[in-house]
Amino acid sequence: MKENEDKDKAVATDQPESGQELKTQEPSTSGPPPGQKERRFRTSELPPHFIERRKHPRISTEPPPPPAPPRLADYAAIIGMPELDEIRFLARHLQGKTVKMVNSTAVGGGVAEILNRLIPLLNELEIPTRWEVITGGNDFFEVTKGFHNALHGGDYNLTRQIQDIFMAYNEQNRQRMLFTEDLFVIHDPQPVGLIRSRSDTRGRWIWRCHIDLSNPHAGVWDFLKPMVEQYDAAIFSAPAFTRQLAIPQYLFYPSIDPLSEKNRELEESFINKVCDDFGIDRSRPVITQISRFDRLKDPVGVIEAYKLVKKYVDCQLVLAGGGATDDPEGAVVLQEVIDAAGDDPDVIILNLPPWSALEINALQRASTVIVQKSLKEGFGLTVTEGLWKQKPVVAGAVGGIPTQIVHKLTGTLVHSVEGCAYQIRYLLTHPEFAAQLGKNGREHAKENFLITVNLKRWLLLFQILLGMAKPSKTI
Amino acid sequence: MATAPQIPATRPRWARSPFYFNSASHLLRIGREKAACLQELLEAIRTCPDASIFQHTFQTLEEHHFIKEGFSNDFSHWAFAACNEVELAERLSAIDIREFTSIAALRERLVHLIESYLQKNPRSGTRPAMEPFYVMAADLVVVPTPYVARNLEEFADGLRKVSIHSIYYHFIDARLRLKLNTSDFSVWLEQELDLHQAAERLNRIDIYTSTLEGVRRSILKIIEGEIARA
Repeated sequence: MKENEDKDKAVATDQPESGQELKTQEPSTSGPPPGQKERRFRTSELPPHFIERRKHPRISTEPPPPPAPPRLADYAAIIGMPELDEIRFLARHLQGKTVKMVNSTAVGGGVAEILNRLIPLLNELEIPTRWEVITGGNDFFEVTKGFHNALHGGDYNLTRQIQDIFMAYNEQNRQRMLFTEDLFVIHDPQPVGLIRSRSDTRGRWIWRCHIDLSNPHAGVWDFLKPMVEQYDAAIFSAPAFTRQLAIPQYLFYPSIDPLSEKNRELEESFINKVCDDFGIDRSRPVITQISRFDRLKDPVGVIEAYKLVKKYVDCQLVLAGGGATDDPEGAVVLQEVIDAAGDDPDVIILNLPPWSALEINALQRASTVIVQKSLKEGFGLTVTEGLWKQKPVVAGAVGGIPTQIVHKLTGTLVHSVEGCAYQIRYLLTHPEFAAQLGKNGREHAKENFLITVNLKRWLLLFQILLGMAKPSKTI
Repeated sequence: MATAPQIPATRPRWARSPFYFNSASHLLRIGREKAACLQELLEAIRTCPDASIFQHTFQTLEEHHFIKEGFSNDFSHWAFAACNEVELAERLSAIDIREFTSIAALRERLVHLIESYLQKNPRSGTRPAMEPFYVMAADLVVVPTPYVARNLEEFADGLRKVSIHSIYYHFIDARLRLKLNTSDFSVWLEQELDLHQAAERLNRIDIYTSTLEGVRRSILKIIEGEIARA
């Protein structure tokens, strides 16, 4: 009992909340591994090696070799055999049907990451799936980058020449490709013009839109919409991202792979090593935001929230992300973050290279609370990653985040720095509630946001579009 | 000393027709309607397809099967979280889908509750919600499983092995299919094994204060009790 009292004292602050004694407990979701002696000290008592690591974190300079993609059976331990059997059953009727998926890049970006995982699984299920990437000159990709920003609501001057460049490269790719498959899945606006081959094929055409179309540039959307409406169906990542269309629209949440480097289970010793490399003290609560250094992710707001929390709870803040090396604006934001942190040694800022998936995984698993205080967001897969790791997540109520976080049931939603600080404080001082949120969050992720759920959605959609499955007559 | 006669081991009671465990997979369709205030929600509920009423009342229970608190359907959750209309949220939340064997009756009840609330609180009708309500619908595809039961032991074994989606399909979704206030499980127990009391006890399991895993455990407890009694 005495030991516990000492423990509480070490973490708690001297300031009781609202006249009540503040009972700060060790959060159940982090802490040293079983059997390892606890080290407890305040910032001023940090051993020199922590200070040194914080100044010079050990960041890997070379990408590790990529692991082999998982087989379907590898997911049984995660989703259970009955779920796996249902996937296999749904696939059985589709065996031999062929699929072509087309996007605009083979490496980098979320779409390529998803296809790299999804396509081997479809092939393993004996649904031959071919992935093709459209090609184009710099002028084409300048146009598509402009379209991308315009579809997110940015200003754009859509000229006749720009439309011609877009259509000419789509036509060039259309002529180069063969369209002999049963199903065509065209990802995002760049290759949307391939639909002109529709009349030459007997297959079904699906447009998978990964971007938020809630507030598009009217001219660009008016240009693309007639092409989109020639597809058999469109798929969006959240109901809020859609437009009114004359074709059926389906909801496919983006997904994470629980067996990827970023999400797979890790040895406790590896998590400790990563924390040690970055100077993170696992004996005190760790608040983490993983995001590229971008103002829309509000890293400075997270530091402000942390400072409010720090008045009550002795904790550390980890801001880890990339984008500050190859993006000039990222470097500016990183400097703003460093300035906002000031001389607080408990704010640990890590500019990580793109091959840091395992390290990010370890940081998330070492965290007591995960924050994603975005001001604008796509779906917010870092939130999904936090939920999957059974962590309490505090996140801005923007983009796809409210789909993932049912307030106070699978996480907490916030709208301000003050709200963010309060929710973090509450979670740090109510570990049982934090643990329940984490548990619910993991179930929510398992039910809706894993690649296996996504695979099942594809199989269902293929069956429905090919007329092989009729929706139930229940209603 | 005479030994007591050996009692032959009880042979399981065989069902006249086996129980085939199925499951259901669903795909979400994004509807055309969305509501930015309660008045618009009322209009959407009046006009949306049956599949949408089903999605936001029955299906949402499966999607959030791991939660045993909070509001029990999407309409009540939205009234609370996006409109801050706590009284209406509570009233909507009290709707127990087990009492409804048709979507038309459920829709009527939803409309009545919102209409009468807005009559008493007319300003609430047009007050903008913090975020819109998107009307969705689900396409359900029934998937057979390898599990078949011809007696209680096999039934318990199937219950332990099937996915949570199968429990949902037979125990909750079935009400609309059967047009009765019961489930596939209860019907089979009653009609095939003459276990009327067990069937009735299954129907009393509270799906709102338990997770679907909890529902599975409760069903199993009743079945295991029957096996022990046999």
